[in-house]
Order: sequence, then C-alpha cells, then structure tokens
Amino acid sequence: MMGPVQVLVVGFEQPAFSGEVLAEFTRLREAGIVRLVDLLLVSRGPDGTLDTLTAPPEFGPELGALAAALLGRPVEDGAGETDQPDEAGGWSLADAVPPGSAAAVALIEHIWAGPLTAAVRRAGGSPLEETWLAPADVAELESLIAARGG
Amino acid sequence: MLLVPRQLRRAGMTGDVPYYGGRFSPAQAYALSHPGPPPASVATAVDVVGRTVPPHGPAPSPPPGPPPSPPPSHGDTLASLRHLLDSGVISADEYEQLRARV
Repeated sequence: MMGPVQVLVVGFEQPAFSGEVLAEFTRLREAGIVRLVDLLLVSRGPDGTLDTLTAPPEFGPELGALAAALLGRPVEDGAGETDQPDEAGGWSLADAVPPGSAAAVALIEHIWAGPLTAAVRRAGGSPLEETWLAPADVAELESLIAARGG
Repeated sequence: MLLVPRQLRRAGMTGDVPYYGGRFSPAQAYALSHPGPPPASVATAVDVVGRTVPPHGPAPSPPPGPPPSPPPSHGDTLASLRHLLDSGVISADEYEQLRARV
C-alpha cells in the first residue's frame, strides 16, 4: 500500500525540468523519505485550456502520463469542461494553475509517513486539521527553539 | 495533449480532513446554539481591610444591556436567508429546508 501522496504544483514563467530538483528527489528516494511518482508539465492558455508539455527524451515517454491520467481527461474523449460536479473542498488543476501560465505538477509519495498514518488509524485517531506553518510562523518557532536552547 | 481538469477531493496526510467550505463546523454550530453559563470571574476581590480574597459565590451580573430588539419579521427572515444563499454561506438545499421552517 502506498504512503500518502502529495500533489505539488509549482508555477514557472518558463516550464523546465530542473536537473537539480530531480537530483534532490533521487536523493530523498534513496533515503527512503519520498518517492517522485510522476512529474507533469502543463501550460494554461489565456482562454483557460490546459495542455500537457512533452518531457525531454532523456526522461522517457512515460513521464507525466500517470499524473495526466489522474488529474485530467483528454479532450479527445469528448468530456465536457468538467466531468464531475464541484464538491465542497474539491480542487482541480484549473484552480491551481492560472490562465496564461505554466506549472510543474509533481506526485510525491511520502514513504516515511506510511507507518505513521497506519499507527494513527490503529489508535483510532481522526484527522481534524492539517496544514503547513507560514514562513513567519516557522521563524517564530525557530526563535522559540533557540530561546529554549535548541 | 489538451486536458480537461478533473475535480479531486482534498485530503491530509493522515486522511480526509473535514472541510466545511468556510462555514461553521458542526462542533462550532452546536457550541453557538448551546451557549454555556458565563465564565466565572477570575478577578480577586479586595476586602475592607485591603486583603485579597478569592472569588466565591455567583459571579456578579453583567450590567444591563439595551432592551431586546423585536423579533424579525417574516420578510426580514426570508431576506436574510436569501442573502446567505446568494453569498454562498448555505446551499440551495439548505435554503429550502430553512425557508420551510420560517
């Protein structure tokens, strides 16, 4: 069973497959921390159309196929603009990628979190909130840790 | 390849985190509809010779407020409901349910 999978959408002025970022994912994978499941580059036209961008040949023809199949449906399938009604709390790439921009969409499996999630479920815990601290709050946390002596 | 974005559910690392669309959660709605007694005053009192004494007995009543306003009219209530619907606070189904109670 897979661990929790995060969708990370990062906007770029010029879409590019960064070797530095991919090298970091490789390091984290080897450390058993995270696994880059797939990476998709998309562009969004001014009219809102979402288009996938072809990866360089060295990454193989399959790169981005999983993410594209999960996060969208090919227009050739005859699907409408939205094939599912919006549900409360739902999201889509149309929400994340502004028209006239490009983005890299990464599916990241958090391998380290699999055992933790299983332990939470076995203990009968139920999620109530989950978020990331804002940078300013992280800075405050750092100062609190420093004031405590590390 | 042109894609039609699919709607996906949000989830947290440990499972589906409840999302109430910016509205009150059930716990918050329950708390508001079941107000508890006012908190006891934690301020210490000073007796006649200047010693501080812990608070005891019922907390002093708050000063009287303005007289209660008359209950809203039927039209006002429907207008308020309509405003909640138009502003996305309640869904169409919830609007119909609440309107039936007015």
